[in-house]
Amino acid sequence: MQKSLEFRDIEKNYPGVRALYGINFKAEGGRVMALMGENGAGKSTLLKILSADIQPDIGQILINGEEVHFQSPVDAIRGGVSVIYQERQLFASLSVAENIFCGDLPSNKLGGYDSRQIIKDTKELLDKFGLDIDPYEKVGHLNVAHQQMVEIMKAYRRNTDIIAFDEPTAPLTEVEIKILFGLIKLLKEEGKVVLYVSHRMNEIFQVADDIVVLKDGGFVTQMKTSECNEAMLIKAMVGRDIGDTYSNLVRNTNIGDVLLEVKNLKTLAVHDVSFTLRKGEILGLSGLVGAGRTETVRAIFGADAILEGEIYLEGKKVSFKSTRDAIDHGIMLCPEDRKEQGLIMRRTIRENVAMPSIHKLSHWIFLDKKQVRNLAEEAVEDFDIKTPTVEKVVGELSGGNQQKVILGRWINKVVDTKILILDEPTKGIDVGTKAEIYKLICELACRGISIILISSELTEVINLADRVLVMHNGHITGEFAREDATEENVLAAAMLD
Amino acid sequence: MKKILKSKNFTLILILIVLIAVFSFWSSQLGKNFFATSTIKNVLQAIIVTGFLTIGAGCLLISGNMDIAMSTIGCLGLTVIGNACAKAIPGPIALLMMIVICGLFGLLDGWLVSVMKFPSFIATMGVSFIVKGLTYVYSQWWNNGVATNVNFKDAFIQWFGKTNLFGIPIGAYILILFFVIYGIMISKTRFGMKMLLVGGNPQAARLAGINATKVVITLFVNGSILAGISGLFQGARLGMAGLTALSTNQFTGLTAAMIGGISFGGGIGGMGGALIGLLILNTFQIGMSVVGVNPYWVTTFSGILLLGALSIDFLKLRFASTKLARKRRKEVKEAGKNA
Repeated sequence: MQKSLEFRDIEKNYPGVRALYGINFKAEGGRVMALMGENGAGKSTLLKILSADIQPDIGQILINGEEVHFQSPVDAIRGGVSVIYQERQLFASLSVAENIFCGDLPSNKLGGYDSRQIIKDTKELLDKFGLDIDPYEKVGHLNVAHQQMVEIMKAYRRNTDIIAFDEPTAPLTEVEIKILFGLIKLLKEEGKVVLYVSHRMNEIFQVADDIVVLKDGGFVTQMKTSECNEAMLIKAMVGRDIGDTYSNLVRNTNIGDVLLEVKNLKTLAVHDVSFTLRKGEILGLSGLVGAGRTETVRAIFGADAILEGEIYLEGKKVSFKSTRDAIDHGIMLCPEDRKEQGLIMRRTIRENVAMPSIHKLSHWIFLDKKQVRNLAEEAVEDFDIKTPTVEKVVGELSGGNQQKVILGRWINKVVDTKILILDEPTKGIDVGTKAEIYKLICELACRGISIILISSELTEVINLADRVLVMHNGHITGEFAREDATEENVLAAAMLD
Repeated sequence: MKKILKSKNFTLILILIVLIAVFSFWSSQLGKNFFATSTIKNVLQAIIVTGFLTIGAGCLLISGNMDIAMSTIGCLGLTVIGNACAKAIPGPIALLMMIVICGLFGLLDGWLVSVMKFPSFIATMGVSFIVKGLTYVYSQWWNNGVATNVNFKDAFIQWFGKTNLFGIPIGAYILILFFVIYGIMISKTRFGMKMLLVGGNPQAARLAGINATKVVITLFVNGSILAGISGLFQGARLGMAGLTALSTNQFTGLTAAMIGGISFGGGIGGMGGALIGLLILNTFQIGMSVVGVNPYWVTTFSGILLLGALSIDFLKLRFASTKLARKRRKEVKEAGKNA
């Protein structure tokens, strides 16, 4: 029988927001359906409804033509629905095999579970996809890319009719993405219904057969991938033309002298890293997840200990005892993980913007509330942060606006930013906002601010950076000028073995 | 105005008013007067002692930490003061000794939590045992080999317990003054903002150049000294330093602060809420005993009160969203009928 999944008039309301409404579409078995939309369009909410993590206010879900009412995620899995969430749901202290079989462990005669069996089955499963992961290894010891693959294997093994992926490639490197696409192809051949959520355009065109576009909680359109192109898709998602993202950027043609020089930097995670950064230059830092990019910039920023090596800023040797030191010298870092490291989600925009500048915005020990407020209001204006007031709690903003709050923190009149380090600035951000952030980065470079840009999206680094450094296993393994940086040679340096 | 009505503190004040109304009505039915001078005196004494604990615990909670050693440190503080005074050491010097010794244990707490990275529950649990033991050892050392409660007479120390101004103990004024000072500190000063930011996300605060370690250690030292002050007020009235003083107050400060809307996760709350939380908790406990509820039940009800207070926000949200869903379903149904 043909497998299918249908949503009818799904609606979900929260006080003050209509998260989803009028969602009507049908996904057929043997095809991959991409769910597209900007942040806050309602994709994740829809997946949560599918997995019965939340209940819709109105509407029905039909699986293989029959209406279903799942009461809980366990119910949904039994009913044939697996959802792989962005946030991995793994047990760090259990082994790979135990995680993959969790909830479904085969029992042995003693009433325990058959560990030999699951190890054997896990091994088979991993080998089938050419994954080099030890079934005995504790999941907490794996890198994020492998953790994500374990999550995917866990869902694959359940062998459900419907399988949904929410941004599965975010933590993955090229190698695993290939494996994942192979797996999706296999699922298609088995006639399963596959839902796929991603912000990465090229992936969508590679993997999806149909596309459903959501915007602000509503259904916009459904189309066949073969009948649409990137521009059409972006227009449907954003509601307007944003033009070619990269070619319209105004680049800094006036790159100055060497501003920062790093010599033989060594920390626990990086070895013998040396490079220079010029005034007004955008330096791309590429490499696979875990190559030591984040660790390098954290060490420069004074957040991690430096074991050996020297850092020169404007020709003078510096050694930062703390992040405060680095900030006072004009080096700013926008960390990789906005939620965990970047922002204080429960506090307001005002406080998040003023955070590093508190001492400059006060009289004696007292805060100057007016100045703090003004600073935040300027940031909202300068970076076009969409919010009614600076008193809004940052956790309630969309990902793109959150990133802009961090930018507003580091680029304003009270901090003197010389070097801005951006670690994955567009992770999980929708196309419209991405384009804005690219434009901002180039504008900042034109203003003479040097930028170190870390990104796992190759196209981003190659198109934005004036120079690309590639890291592998804690070492720098390649350096390319913009003209020479292509996906092939950057990737070759990144995967060096 | 709407903002005031919606604020958490407004809800808390309502709860407090309802509590007072219920207990005054209930006790009048039993022929007792809830507002009798003796009741007020009892409430005030309890509030003064637990109030300082609440300020300390509240500040720590806001910064994302807790200190369950506070009551034992307070007891040590009182023991230090009592024994010193009993040996005719002048009161001000005894007070200074208390501040130094309590502060040192706060420093230990802070060091364990922010430098050694122990979870604050575990670190302070360890410290609470250490302090409890040391309190007895200290008492034994001062009293020729016998650990014992001490009676002392010192005009300076006892001034804190025996002075009344307009019929109200001086401690109440001091406590209110402290609440005001700490309230201003949290809402108006640089340090207060740092406290809230560190409590909200210590890692992000550190990456934005805030010295989280310094903030946390300062608050632990502050909490321990406030615990010592709480011990001072516990012993000053009767002129006695008991070895088990404050032993029933291990979680009182924490409870009052949490009832007052300071989030256990850190980063949210203020002194206004903490003060109301303190009043609610004490009114409830004293009120129960005035109307003659079995004291064993009072403890149980206090637990229910805490859990109830903590679920207000959750229930509000839950209620709002089910109401919304019901309304929408009805709307759609009616639209269907009309069509």
